[in-house]
Amino acid sequence: MSIMSYNGAAIMAMKGKECVAIAADRRFGIQAQTINTQFDKIFEMGPKLYVGLPGLATDVQTVAQRLKFRLNLYELKENRNIKPKTFLSMVSNLLYSRRFGPYFVEPVIAGLDPKTSEPFIASLDLIGCPMITEDFVVSGTCSEQMYGMCETLYKPDQEPDDLFETISQCLLNAVDRDAVSGWGGVVYIIEKDKVTKRILKGRMD
Amino acid sequence: MAAVEGPMPGFSFENCIRNRHLEKIGHKAPTAYKTGTTIAGIIYKDGVVLGADTRATEDTVVADKNCSKIHYLADNMYCCGAGTAADTEMTTQMISSQLELHKLNTGRKPRVATANRLLKQMLFRYQGHISAALVLGGVDVTGPHLYSIHPHGSTDKLPYVTMGSGSLAAMATFEDRFKPNMEKDEAMKLVRDAIAAGIFNDLGSGSNVDICVITKDKVEYLRPFDEANIKGKREGNYGYKRGSTAVVSTEVKKIPFEVVATQVVSGTEAMDTA
Amino acid sequence: MALADVCGIKQNQFSLSGSAFRSDTSELFRDVEVGSNNFSMPFNFDPVENLQQFQQQDSKVKIHFDHGTTTLAFKFKHGVVVAVDSRATAGPYIASQTVKKVIEINPYLLGTMAGGAADCSYWERVLAKQCRIYELRNKERISVAAASKLLANMVYNYKGMGLSMGTMICGWDKKGPGLYYVDSDGERLTNNLFSVGSGSVYAYGVLDSGYKWDLSVKEALDLGQRAIYHATFRDAYSGGVVNLYHMKETGWEFISRTDTAELHYKFQDEKKK
Repeated sequence: MSIMSYNGAAIMAMKGKECVAIAADRRFGIQAQTINTQFDKIFEMGPKLYVGLPGLATDVQTVAQRLKFRLNLYELKENRNIKPKTFLSMVSNLLYSRRFGPYFVEPVIAGLDPKTSEPFIASLDLIGCPMITEDFVVSGTCSEQMYGMCETLYKPDQEPDDLFETISQCLLNAVDRDAVSGWGGVVYIIEKDKVTKRILKGRMD
Repeated sequence: MAAVEGPMPGFSFENCIRNRHLEKIGHKAPTAYKTGTTIAGIIYKDGVVLGADTRATEDTVVADKNCSKIHYLADNMYCCGAGTAADTEMTTQMISSQLELHKLNTGRKPRVATANRLLKQMLFRYQGHISAALVLGGVDVTGPHLYSIHPHGSTDKLPYVTMGSGSLAAMATFEDRFKPNMEKDEAMKLVRDAIAAGIFNDLGSGSNVDICVITKDKVEYLRPFDEANIKGKREGNYGYKRGSTAVVSTEVKKIPFEVVATQVVSGTEAMDTA
Repeated sequence: MALADVCGIKQNQFSLSGSAFRSDTSELFRDVEVGSNNFSMPFNFDPVENLQQFQQQDSKVKIHFDHGTTTLAFKFKHGVVVAVDSRATAGPYIASQTVKKVIEINPYLLGTMAGGAADCSYWERVLAKQCRIYELRNKERISVAAASKLLANMVYNYKGMGLSMGTMICGWDKKGPGLYYVDSDGERLTNNLFSVGSGSVYAYGVLDSGYKWDLSVKEALDLGQRAIYHATFRDAYSGGVVNLYHMKETGWEFISRTDTAELHYKFQDEKKK
């Protein structure tokens, strides 16, 4: 069994029209045993910037805290909000510094540019290879299922409400074919003037 | 000592012992993104042409259908990367910054030989653990140069080179049709065909052909140069209607506008209250 | 047998040595014969060695056998309650959410499925045949004890060869309700209450806190359903729907098939009250 599926997770992000969405499941388990179904895997890194961290739960929290620390130093130094692309470099550098002893996380980044509100989504592998895409990114134990859902349901330039339906259905239907993720979901829709967080009702088995 | 310190430079090995233990008790480490890859380059009459496919894979999954494998090193030099994607990305970034510093120190345009030496010395130092297989091409005061650099640090300087899992297919094309002092169009066509041979015959390579043409005082970065596999148009609509997803709770967080500048304008006349 | 004679192959080289259920029919017709008790094997084939190579960690070809399951059965005053989930997994991938894990052997016998799905359904099908033959020969129904022992003996012949089966044989005979646990190691036990599978620990937790011999039918069925639901919630490899059966003096009755998603929100509302 892979270390990535020790705790189980499914995270994806999508671009819409002047908005982005990031979604995750809510399970924290130890292999087959479900421990918690209100577990946070998406972390706020700025008013319009979120990072999702699927992988080994201990590393998820360590990486989230290390990133927040580096981010705070950056913002104190620069006195401005970080751009998503700069944040991507920050994550990439942190992960690549552990090239020969990696953290077991494969992050997903979603956000809007603090000045121009340009949508941005990206993902990285566990040693920090950045991948910026124009449509969607997925990461976690059921990435095959998520790729399948996203490839069929994704449409470019969706309004925030439609983007919510698309990402929610992609997530819920993907995790229903994965034993170690699921147990409900959470979706953040990030727009210019507001962020909407919705908890999804899902299968609890 | 400062209260808070920034991150230390260089590699950290703090997780190595833990990770080795996890592997020993049967938890397999996941695979990093790889660029299965076909990359190639040739020297022609006025400079060099570099080419690459755009597929990145994670085990058997195509992780990125349009990734960029021709990396910037300096204004007159580019470098194609194959192998572990993070390694090629970070290695070229690191050498690029060293070349920039070198340029600022010396006040000269860096030479391709310099970049080659920096890359091979770095890769040799890591004894092949940084798995980057590179095709380095550029034009400097001494003319056009093309190198292939292997993960262990050995290099070749040749008029035409290929690298990556599709290198055999691409090299077959070069062996068949390469001749010295080709015209630009002919050279670009040959590189395109070599990469296309990799895309169609190697499972690790796919999607588009990127090409970069470097001459004495100009760089043409064509991305994509050619789309070898155009995706079919979707006829049906699989969208979900609004309200189909069951929601337990909703929480809206307003983002305060950033105040850039404040200016108080006081009226010169009294307000009209009539 | 001309070819075999020319090649100098003795008949018994093709058959599994030591099988207690050798039929007398010619080797050539063995596979054609309905419900044959021997599997044909290639020459010099060792199933133990050959199956093992696919189950090792670093094997390139991985055969994931279904393992995750929660099944339970318990005897009480009014018969036997049988409840199972319906999920089949291959590694972390959910292969099906609608597996029938209760095997209806005959109107008075039920078997449950845990471990290899193919092993369970095949051997319980063979058991069904044996039970029918018993009925025709003896003009009365087979006892639960005898039926379960037939199964245990059959799988014992293949011990150590990679069969995977954990089943509960439930029925009603002259002695009243019967419940036996039989597995592929050859173990055969009887008791009032069993649960088998990866989610069994969770099911036992619920069962032990609510089980009494004097339960009413409604209470007993609810307990069985509840135990499976709680197992599907905690265990990643159990889920889908809860299939519920009641074994009575008149034979088994299929009670219900309820989605666990429905049960989750029903039980959650109950807690709020």
